[in-house]
Amino acid sequence: MTELWVILISAGLVLGISAAFAALLLVAERYLANYGQCVIDVNRGSRRLEVRGGETLLSTLMGRQIFIPSACGGKGTCAYCKVKVLEGAGTVAPTEQPLLTAEDVANNVRISCQVKVRNDMAIEIPGNLLNVKQYTGAVERIRDLTHDIKELRIKLTDPPTIEFVPGQYVQLMAPAYKGSPEAVYRAYSIASPPHDAGYVELIIRRVPGGTCTTWVFEHLAEGDEVSFNGPYGEFRLSGTDAEMVWIAGGSGMAPFWSIVRHMKQAQIARKCTYFFGAVRKGDLFFTDELRQLDRELDWFTFVPALSAPAESDQWDGATGLITEVVGKGVSDAAAKEGYLCGSGGMIDAAVKTLKGKGMPEEKIYYDKFT
Amino acid sequence: MKRSPQLQFVVDRMGPGGVCREGFLGSDPRPLEEILDADNSTVAGMNRTHAQIAERLQTVMDVAIAAQGRGVSVGPHLEAGWHEAMGRIPSPWPGEGTFSKGEMELTDARTGRTVRVTPLAVHLIAAHGFYQGRGSRYRLEPDELAAMLGL
Ligand SMILES: Cc1cc2nc3c(=O)[nH]c(=O)nc-3n(C[C@H](O)[C@H](O)[C@H](O)COP(=O)(O)OP(=O)(O)OC[C@H]3O[C@@H](n4cnc5c(N)ncnc54)[C@H](O)[C@@H]3O)c2cc1C
Repeated sequence: MTELWVILISAGLVLGISAAFAALLLVAERYLANYGQCVIDVNRGSRRLEVRGGETLLSTLMGRQIFIPSACGGKGTCAYCKVKVLEGAGTVAPTEQPLLTAEDVANNVRISCQVKVRNDMAIEIPGNLLNVKQYTGAVERIRDLTHDIKELRIKLTDPPTIEFVPGQYVQLMAPAYKGSPEAVYRAYSIASPPHDAGYVELIIRRVPGGTCTTWVFEHLAEGDEVSFNGPYGEFRLSGTDAEMVWIAGGSGMAPFWSIVRHMKQAQIARKCTYFFGAVRKGDLFFTDELRQLDRELDWFTFVPALSAPAESDQWDGATGLITEVVGKGVSDAAAKEGYLCGSGGMIDAAVKTLKGKGMPEEKIYYDKFT
Repeated sequence: MKRSPQLQFVVDRMGPGGVCREGFLGSDPRPLEEILDADNSTVAGMNRTHAQIAERLQTVMDVAIAAQGRGVSVGPHLEAGWHEAMGRIPSPWPGEGTFSKGEMELTDARTGRTVRVTPLAVHLIAAHGFYQGRGSRYRLEPDELAAMLGL
């Protein structure tokens, strides 16, 4: 019996000492390791950052106002924060390996939240990321657009205005709250037009059990301060004057609500038909405003469609899945361009429909990752 | 038995806030290995495989997604509805990529029972025989699920 106690106590001691030693190492790495001043060369001399080593590349860059998209808050799970590191990153860490493809590794692409700045480095990032900024603002208005979609209107405070191309998105920070232990960032398309530069409007659909949307729907209130960074993304009108087909559903409305108001204000009279799909009438929003634009602008046609209208909806508009309505409403699409925003399933179906109408795949634009 | 650092990494990511708000283990007091073993035995006891269950679920989910939010019949007594969402979520197991967000509600008209299934959940069943911990929003009881799917 005494022997058993001795064994248990010794095992406990060994475990305790190992745990304390591991914790000490972590603390030492965090606070004592001194990597000194390091220089990060960005885009072959376009920016030269003198930084203190020891932090991750993602947070070091963020500290110098260079924002790399990241959805998981630097926890190495989302793989959005990929950066090309030409020099100084060392070998790929085990935590990065699962998130990198063979092509990434061959091209020196790294997961910036998992790479520590320990010495001088040279990195390459898309030039437009150098224009990304951190913003704070106050929620001026929250309104229900449907039973599960809200519009946020945020008045910018610091900086007081934003410049972006309609179609781009920001990454909204949902802080830690009860039931969500850490802050996360999620992408939301900017719904306001760029000339309304002191504000950002977002259209957010509730995702049951979702981290950020639960915060928006259950915790965020008018007057609260919020922060986000951006703008990001390549989704935007092309420079041609080809006729366009826009297809969206749900919160996929957001970029088009920005683009159409921008086109009106900038007098871009490019022919366009906007197909917007919902299940029932209660899922539609901005219908009156878009119908008004349809009447006012001879280049703009708005086609809302319901896939399963209830009798009480008294709907006499287009019915069917939005892709079926597009199939009937668009004849030859070979010379047209397609712009899509919605869930992955809707996008897959819309791409198929447009290709079936002769639209070349490279003329169909949508954000990856949606 | 001692858990490998790789599996510990996965278990850490399965906690609340690791990959998603509520995590994957719910209020289940059992360690991950025990959850996997128990569900494995249940599925083997039915002479089924995880691959068969995942394949049937995927077929049903494809039909629900194609209906773009409209409720759809996916078999005798079985109704499915897809709650779409934009964005993608990674697997708690490293190196497995990301999966569309959103969830399918599958209702058995005979029993009135509804379960929620996501693209990531189907992947976890196919790749790991993982049906999540009890109390998780997306926990699926393999025997009930198989019965629902007519397997
Ligand atoms: C470029 C871009 C633009 C976007 N624009 C908009 C926009 O304008 N408006 C908008 O509303 N959204 C937009 N999104 C989507 C948005 O970024 C978020 O992804 C969305 O709001 C959900 O975030 P969340 O944190 O609430 O959900 P999350 O918590 O990140 O994810 C919830 C989902 O994860 C899955 N999941 C969670 N837990 C589990 C589990 N245990 N097992 C299996 N699966 C699980 C389910 O599928 C569930 O639906 C955009 C996304 C991108 C990439």
